[in-house]
Formats: sequence, structure tokens, C-alpha cells
Amino acid sequence: MNYRYIWKEIRHHRHRTLVNVLGIAVGIALFVSINAVSAAYQRAISLPFKNIGADIVVQRAEKRSLDSGQPPASMRGIRLPFSNQILSVQDMEKLRTISGIDAMVASLLLWEFDQGGFKTIMGVDLTAPSLGPIKVKEWLAQGRFPEKTGEAVLETHFAKFHKIKAGDTFTIGGRSFNVVGLLEIKEGSQVAAANIYLPLADAQSLLGGSAGDINIAYLHMKNPAQIDEIKTQISKTLSGVTVTSSDSFLELMGGMSQISSQFSLVVSLVALAGAIFLIIKTMVGNLVERSREIGILKAVGWTSSDIQKQLMGETFMQAIMGGIAGIAAGYLISYLLGYLSIPVATPWELNLTPAFAKIAETSAKTIRLPVSFSAGLTAAALALSLFAGGLASYFMGRRMSKMKPVDILRRL
Amino acid sequence: MNNADILIGANLSKRFDDLEVVKDVSLIIKEGEFVSLVGKSGCGKTTLLSLLSGLEQPTKGQVILNGKEITGASEEELALFRREHVGFIFQSFNLIPTLSAWENVALPLFPIKMTNEQRQDRALELLNQMEMGHRTEHLPAALSGGEKQRVAIARALINNPKIVFADEPTGNLDSATGDAIMAILSELHKKQGMTMLMVTHALELAKTADRVIRMQDGEVIT
Ligand SMILES: Nc1ncnc2c1ncn2[C@@H]1O[C@H](COP(=O)(O)OP(=O)(O)OP(=O)(O)O)[C@@H](O)[C@H]1O
Ligand SMILES: [Mg+2]
Repeated sequence: MNYRYIWKEIRHHRHRTLVNVLGIAVGIALFVSINAVSAAYQRAISLPFKNIGADIVVQRAEKRSLDSGQPPASMRGIRLPFSNQILSVQDMEKLRTISGIDAMVASLLLWEFDQGGFKTIMGVDLTAPSLGPIKVKEWLAQGRFPEKTGEAVLETHFAKFHKIKAGDTFTIGGRSFNVVGLLEIKEGSQVAAANIYLPLADAQSLLGGSAGDINIAYLHMKNPAQIDEIKTQISKTLSGVTVTSSDSFLELMGGMSQISSQFSLVVSLVALAGAIFLIIKTMVGNLVERSREIGILKAVGWTSSDIQKQLMGETFMQAIMGGIAGIAAGYLISYLLGYLSIPVATPWELNLTPAFAKIAETSAKTIRLPVSFSAGLTAAALALSLFAGGLASYFMGRRMSKMKPVDILRRL
Repeated sequence: MNNADILIGANLSKRFDDLEVVKDVSLIIKEGEFVSLVGKSGCGKTTLLSLLSGLEQPTKGQVILNGKEITGASEEELALFRREHVGFIFQSFNLIPTLSAWENVALPLFPIKMTNEQRQDRALELLNQMEMGHRTEHLPAALSGGEKQRVAIARALINNPKIVFADEPTGNLDSATGDAIMAILSELHKKQGMTMLMVTHALELAKTADRVIRMQDGEVIT
């Protein structure tokens, strides 16, 4: 192969080269961005669960209630959320009999309505593994996590709203708590987001029910692939409970998130195929314009395979340039899209604040698209641009072999 | 000088659809001969030359070039054969516009395994011989017609061909430049004993050759 000649052809026909390279780049950029954004969406909807290390959340909703837009007049003080009635001891025992679960954490989630407004309170088992709401202790911004009764941490936005600092005291359900720390809820973690976190025993005594009351269970699977199977098993064993996993977000979000990874692959391949088709057409068209040159090469003794190598060299060079440019552009587009925050709609039973309580909305509701570089996607894009180059050289070769050296004798 | 038959055309015919352009032509060119082929425009000179040089297959007849029967050979075989034994000079030069003068000269060597320096050395040597040593890096667009034809002649010689086919090599040049090119060809024949078949329709030019073959309506008449 003669790199000198290949390079000269590419350089001297700048316009031609630019069109080809851009064509491939556009196709590859589409392929990369569609797949990267789709992968980011898939990741985004798994975040609410992933961030708190849980695969499944189990709750028992109040039978009659719907999450109406109006607060019932009788609602004052500490109460259980509509979607989180007490999970009985029997319920928990049944849950434990289900195999495939390797960790389980139970919490007590409370709502308080008073003159000061509305708050969500999460009572957490301080001895439990870092799963579900316990996970939030890794997100402390200031101070420490509660160690004993009478201590609480506040979510930073909520604390700011109420002008509370670490070290202050804060009244919950008529009792005074020491605020020992502040924490920041990670993006997309609404499944365990509350305004206040305090020891489980304190939450239980605030509710005034029986000791050991809990109303939300976070489960971690041995094998995440079994989620669906275990979800149906839980629904069967414990009648009337709500079982949610990241799929529940998928169903709600619509749009891009409903596009499965296979579907986006198909869409992006179709887009790429269109681009490749156009590129091959222009490349073969270019070749026809070069039929005189091909005739000269044949006349001076280049065989078809010599010419084919030359064409392949030119085509692959452009395909690689287009591929690299397309990959760069594709990721650029994806990262730019990633700067936009997307709303993550929460299934109502997982939305730990009632619809009518609009205070202290935090970042938990919207998340940035977690676009990330994928070696696999990049390699696939590069392979596809080479494939496009190969395909174009194949068709150019077929066209080229039909060109006759004798034609140049009669051209002026 | 040995007088082997380097090119034999036997009963050559070429038909394009219902138009017979070359009609039963037979001719022999001996090694070291300079033969010119003359005739009116459209009488079939270029077609005959393409048959004899293996650029095109005849409808009927045979061509034996340098002892090898080339009729019926595949395109690839013919290309390799041209690479080794044949040189071409065209009326319209047919240089590659993106390649410099020396690269155009070296073009037939590109598919051959050798270093770029070897190719360049050989090309420069021939360009010097054509008095083009000062314009080796220029693109064809920067060269005059006469200069282009000198580059093309150098290219035709780079493979040490057994025979050079030239189709109206001065057809695109003014008469002074044409004369200079004819002088080069004539010198090639006289000093290096190059076998040449040159198509022209100018009788004075044809006289430079050892022998003139006349064509009329696809037939050889002398
Ligand atoms: N591919 C082709 N198909 C049909 N007819 C052709 C083809 N090539 C040549 N001809 C015809 O054959 C005849 C001879 O053409 P050719 O080019 O050999 O003439 P020529 O003697 O070289 O003429 P000139 O002096 O003008 O170059 C012409 O009438 C031409 O139109
Ligand atoms: Mg002619």
C-alpha cells in the first residue's frame, strides 16, 4: 500500500474528504449519543434504588386512602403516611422466609403536620447495615449521625428553611431533639429521603404505637436478576402490600426511559445505516468522477487488487477520521444533554411527601443524566465506522473493476 | 540488433455493436523498430493500438506481444503484463493531478515491492534525462503541455518496457513543442533502440519513423 498516494488523494480533495468524514461522523455521533443517553436514562431510573443500596421496597398502603390534593382537616400532629401503614410482626416474619434476600432493613416513616408546616421523619435502626435510609449516614455534610435517643440529623435544605444549625435543638411532635448533624440527600434518592432522621425507638415513641412498629422495609437481593421473581413472591405471600423496585420508575417516566437498550440500539443502527448508505453513494459517485484516474492506473499496470488497496486505504483513513470525530461529537452531545436535569417521577407510594406538601422540595426530585464513557460503545462505534469503510470499499471496488483502461485513450 | 518479432497482430477485428472499426488487420513489429500508424480521424488507429497493447480485447484475431499471446488473457494478467513490458504515452498526458511530477513518473512502481527511495531515484533519473530535473516536485497543473508530456514519457520508460505505444503524443502541443517531443522519441529509438508504435495523423511526423503503416476505414492499406 502506498501511504503517500493515499494521503495525497485525501489532502488534495479536501472538500470530498470533508463530506465523507462528516457523513461518517454524523452517523457515528448519532449512534454514540443515542446509546449513551439511553444507557444514562437506564442508569438514572435505577438511581433511586441504587443510591440507597436497595433492590426492593415493601410498604403497606392505607386501604381507603388516595393521595388527594387536599389535607384532611383532621390531620394534625404525628401520623403514618397514607402509603405506609404498620407492617406487622407477622408480615416481617413472612418476608424473612422468602429466599434470595440477603439483607433487609426496616424503618418507621412518619409525617408531622403542625403550625410550622409539614415534615417527614425517618426512624432508623442504628444497628442495621448500610442499606435504605441507613445509607444516608454516608452523606453527612456536618456533624455526625444520631447515636442515642434524643438525637436527630436534618436534611440541609430543610434545616436551612427552618434556620437550624448543627448543635441546635429542634422540636418534633412536642419533644425536643438535639440536632447532631446535617446531611445532603444524593440526587435521585427520594426512596429514602426525609427531612429528619432519628433513632427508630424515638420515632416509635413519637407515634405512640407499640414498640417494634415499622412501616417500610428495604430489601437487598443476592442476585439482582431475581428481582421480578421475588417481587411476585412477596406480593403473593404478603397480601395487600406494595412492592416497588426501579422498574416502577421505568413505567412512570415514559419517553426515553421506556426505550429499552435494545430498541435504542436498533434506532441508532438504523440512523447509522442511513448515514452509511449516503456515504457509500457519495463515495461511489466520487469514484465515477475519478474513472480517468482509475483508467490511468490500470493502463500503467496496476491490477484491480492494487487499486482496491488504494481505495481501501483512502476509505479506511476517512472512516477512522469520521469515526473518531463522530465518537467525540457523540459523547459531547451526550454530556451536554447530561447537563440538563431530568425529572424523575416517583411512584406515589414511594413519594415520601404527600402531594399537597410542597415545601422543602429537594434535589431528590430531579437528577442529572449520568452519562458516562463506555469502552464497549466506543469500540462498537469504531468497529462500525470501519465496517462502513469496508462496505464502501467493497462497492467502490465493484464499480472500479468495471472501468476500462482503454477509455482514457479517447479522453481529452 | 536482433530482429525478433516483438509484436504480432494476426487477423485482428474489433466490432462495436454493428460497427466494425478494425477489419482483419495483420501486422508485425520487430524489436527496435519505430513504426508510425497514420490515417484519417476515425479510421480506427486508436482502436488498433488498444488491441495491440492489450488495453482491449479484439473481437477476432490474436496478439502476441513479447512472445506471449495476450488475447484472451484476464484483466489482471494483462495489467501485470503491461506493468512489466509496456509503456504508454497519450495525447492528453494522463497524469494523476494529485501527484507530483516524480510521483507520476514512479506511479507504475507503486504496486511493486521496493523502497520509496528506489522509486524516487529511478524517477529522478528519468526526469533528468527528459530535462525535467528542475520540476520534479511540481503538480501536473503547474506544468506546461510539453513538460507534462516529458513527465509522461519518463513514466512510460520507468519499467524498462519492451515496447512503447504512443497515441498522438504531440496532438495537444503546439508545433515547436511537438517537435521537441518528437525529437525525444526519435532519440529514444536511435540511442536506446526502443521499439515504438506511434499513432499520428500528421504525415510529416510519421516520417520520423522507420516505417509507416497507413489505415483507412479500419483496414491497413500499406
Ligand atoms: N467504445 C466504442 N463504442 C462504439 N464506437 C466506438 C468506440 N470506440 C471507438 N468507436 C468508433 O470507432 C471508430 C474509430 O475510432 P478510433 O478512436 O479508433 O479512431 P482514430 O483513428 O483513433 O481517430 P482519431 O484520429 O480521431 O483519434 C470511430 O468511428 C469511433 O466512433
Ligand atoms: Mg485516436
